[in-house]
Amino acid sequence: MTGPQSYIFKTVARFLFFLVNVFALYLLLRGHNFPGGGFIAGLATAISLILLSLAIGLEELHRVMRFDPVRLAAAGLTLAVVTGAAPMLFDRPFLEHFDMHFSNVPFIGGFHAGTPLVFDVGVYLVVVGVACKIIFALGKSTQRLRALVAEEEARYSSRVEQPIEEEVRTEPEPAQNPTIPDAT
Amino acid sequence: MELHGINFLLVLGLPLIGSPLVALAGRRLGRRSGWLALAFPLISTAALLALAGGIGLPTRVVIEWPWVPSLGLGLSFLIDGLSIFFGLVVSVMGSLIVFYAIFYLDKDEEHQGRFYSYLVLFMGAMLGTVFSNHLVLIFIFWELTGIASFLLIGFWHGEADSRVGARQALLVTGSTGLAMFVGLVILHQIFGSASVSELLSGDLSSGKHSVLFTVAMLLVLVGAFGKSAQFPLHFWLPNAMAAPTPVSAYLHSATMVKLGVFLVARLYPVFVDHSWWAPLLGLIAFTTMALGAVLALLSHDLKAILAFSTVSQLGYLIGYYGLGPPDGVEHDYLHILNHVFYKGCLFMVVGIVAHAAGIRDIRQLGGLFPRLPLLGVTTLVAAATMAGIPGTTGFLSKEMMLKEIFEAMRARDELGLYATACVVLTSVVKVAFSVRLFANIFLGKKPEQVKQDFHAPSPWMQLPPVLLAACALLFGLFPGLLDAPFGALAVEGLNRPQHLALWHGFTKELLVSSLVLALGFGLYWLGEKTNWRWHHIPRWLRFDVAFEAGIEVFSKFTKVVTRVLRSDQPLDYLPIIVTFFVLLVGGRLLWQGSGLWGSLALDWGTVQPLRTLAAGLIALAVVGVLFLRRWTAQLISLSVAGFLTCFYFVLYRAPDLALTQILVETVTLIMVLLLLARFPRSAQVGEERRKPVRFRRVFHMLLALSVGGVATVLTLMVTANPHPSPIGRGFLEHTVELAKGSNAVNTILVDFRGFDTLGEITVLVIATLGCLGLLMRYKRTPEEYQQGPHGPPGSGAGEEVRE
Repeated sequence: MTGPQSYIFKTVARFLFFLVNVFALYLLLRGHNFPGGGFIAGLATAISLILLSLAIGLEELHRVMRFDPVRLAAAGLTLAVVTGAAPMLFDRPFLEHFDMHFSNVPFIGGFHAGTPLVFDVGVYLVVVGVACKIIFALGKSTQRLRALVAEEEARYSSRVEQPIEEEVRTEPEPAQNPTIPDAT
Repeated sequence: MELHGINFLLVLGLPLIGSPLVALAGRRLGRRSGWLALAFPLISTAALLALAGGIGLPTRVVIEWPWVPSLGLGLSFLIDGLSIFFGLVVSVMGSLIVFYAIFYLDKDEEHQGRFYSYLVLFMGAMLGTVFSNHLVLIFIFWELTGIASFLLIGFWHGEADSRVGARQALLVTGSTGLAMFVGLVILHQIFGSASVSELLSGDLSSGKHSVLFTVAMLLVLVGAFGKSAQFPLHFWLPNAMAAPTPVSAYLHSATMVKLGVFLVARLYPVFVDHSWWAPLLGLIAFTTMALGAVLALLSHDLKAILAFSTVSQLGYLIGYYGLGPPDGVEHDYLHILNHVFYKGCLFMVVGIVAHAAGIRDIRQLGGLFPRLPLLGVTTLVAAATMAGIPGTTGFLSKEMMLKEIFEAMRARDELGLYATACVVLTSVVKVAFSVRLFANIFLGKKPEQVKQDFHAPSPWMQLPPVLLAACALLFGLFPGLLDAPFGALAVEGLNRPQHLALWHGFTKELLVSSLVLALGFGLYWLGEKTNWRWHHIPRWLRFDVAFEAGIEVFSKFTKVVTRVLRSDQPLDYLPIIVTFFVLLVGGRLLWQGSGLWGSLALDWGTVQPLRTLAAGLIALAVVGVLFLRRWTAQLISLSVAGFLTCFYFVLYRAPDLALTQILVETVTLIMVLLLLARFPRSAQVGEERRKPVRFRRVFHMLLALSVGGVATVLTLMVTANPHPSPIGRGFLEHTVELAKGSNAVNTILVDFRGFDTLGEITVLVIATLGCLGLLMRYKRTPEEYQQGPHGPPGSGAGEEVRE
């Protein structure tokens, strides 16, 4: 999964990465009252990461990110479950939400915030993690890289099984380059 | 009440919590984890005794914690004589067995933590079953004991015997347990209460005449017979002896297999006056008893002999309840306790002998008495108990049983006669194999192999069997000691405790007993004379072989079905699903007939130009998919249709939907492109358009058109007849007031339907993990796939080879 090898594209992509993420944050925060929400924001962030991966390459992105997106998803799920379960400690039903009104906050004025936002952040993290992980793994495998690095293999599969990519490597080179046909 | 609750938590909760702890600690402790595990049965025993003293027997106390109140399901436990009796058997035997296992398992045995963890889990499950007051709770713990038993039988899972034995045990006890569950649910339906204490004390006469009551009784008995290995389901028990000996001694003789007996006893007052109760229990149980005894005599493996004799004894116990009078039986505790004493003891002895000599075949053993004098005496006592020689609890048990069946012979003609014949036959055979068990292990001359391999066992290991044998002897000589505890443990409607005495005078029973002993010794002498040549289990009695064959046939059948229905290409499945949809939904629409066409009348005046334009563009993009040649182009065209749908959503003022649609469409497009590029075929051959056969093309076209037609008609119908009270309106109205947010879509997602969302993101994460696992899968080459050693994947062939 490589994008066009153009300096302009690379620069614009990096710039867009921040722009899209600011937009995603905006979608996430306003979700409760205006169009937006964790799911959409998560998808937007995932798309920004995919864009970045096209620009700088997956291996470089992996180096920059330093963590497994699945952990992000796991953290999100934990956050959502904890948000849901926390009221049970105070004898309230599962997933009951609470909110507060903040007034006179500098620059913003008054606004409402509550546990739905925390829950939504959980959803956001799950969507980002899941979408990125799957697409990165698939993308790597079409580039004749291993879909998962060695330490991850132990995490997601049984030890008796062999990763599929090793087999692809030992095969003789096919005539055609099996990446996605680019626009070029 | 509060104190009882805490006591009870120590009895039941501690083992259930402790089981995973033992497993965790086992990694570090290794061999010493047994000492940690020993704490749980000891604490349970102590707490149980305190509990028994605290509630003041023979009262009945119910301890209850709410669990799922909306389903009427509570953690409700019934503490009475029966449950305390069984609880004590379980926890005391548990202590002895864990102690024994510490010395039994080899020093270098791996996974000891896991072993003890299963044992403690089993003990917790057993205690849960016997104390449960709720019918559903009984079932849950019942199956938990089955699972623990499966894990323990299969503990040495490297051996094929263990795996087969574990599977048989799980299948038989698990499936019969399900039958029992149905029976218990029916009981609940009939009497309107799932509480055992209410069933026992309430007035049940109203529901007892229905057919359903009979069905419930039969199903419950199926469960009891499966667990207690009654004919014709008895075959799993001997195969379960592949487990380590402490497990056999604990689960498969002393406790778990007695659950069937327990269930029969527990529901005895409910079922006893049913006219089928006595004949059914009598016939099956006494048949099992006689058959088990004969099979025990025909076996050579030490553990098999004991296993079949356990089967026999279980028949004896259940049959005893079967013949009991409606107001309660007299000596059930004695029979159960007697069996626990001698069978637990003998199993442990056999384990020690097999450990010391390395042989389990009785024909190759002999002359061990000088080497193991203490064990020899112990075995002598236990075998005497099994044979029913005066001075042991076995004698008391047999005397009482004979008395009972002589009474039954008067009360019920044919059944009583059958029972008598079975009991006498069983007693004779039992004497013979008891003598054989002792004499052929400890007496005679020592074979060469035994001389070579013998190594002395730890003296500590001999302590538990010695204790059990001592109990059998003590209570056999002074049966009056048992009067007080049995009196306290008596349960109304089940027990009528009687005074026990060693000497009853010169009665008919004593005469029969003496005859039985003489005949039994004669049978043994006959066997020795003929060198046990006639000893093998005939093929038609090998039920386990038939069962395995049945399983084999079933798995072949499923393979055939799978091969016929299965295809490598999703393209083969899709037409089937779609055709089904068209026929079902389209057929239903046509069936409706004339009313249909009226609702489809279009009002051309409401057509809006902008929407029409968007719809037309979508249609154009879809048509493009049909005529474009390369799959990338097709995909992009399809995704253009998707993006245009967003436009449509915007026209309907649904910004959330539009946003979601755009983003989902983008991510999906990238993902599908990657996926298609990843498939080996498209990766290697590149884009290649498959030219389908003409017939297929026409068929697919027709199918596509009819799906489109059905969908159109459905849409028109739904818009023509809107739902009178759509659910969305309520959400829209209450979103600010209840969820404190003005975006109803989002408040539905995170608040009103937050639980759904939580479920969805959980599924997302699980699906991702599954995908990653799939990405790792080893893919076979075509040659390997067709004639490789493993056969086609998933067929199960060659599983052994892989190991």
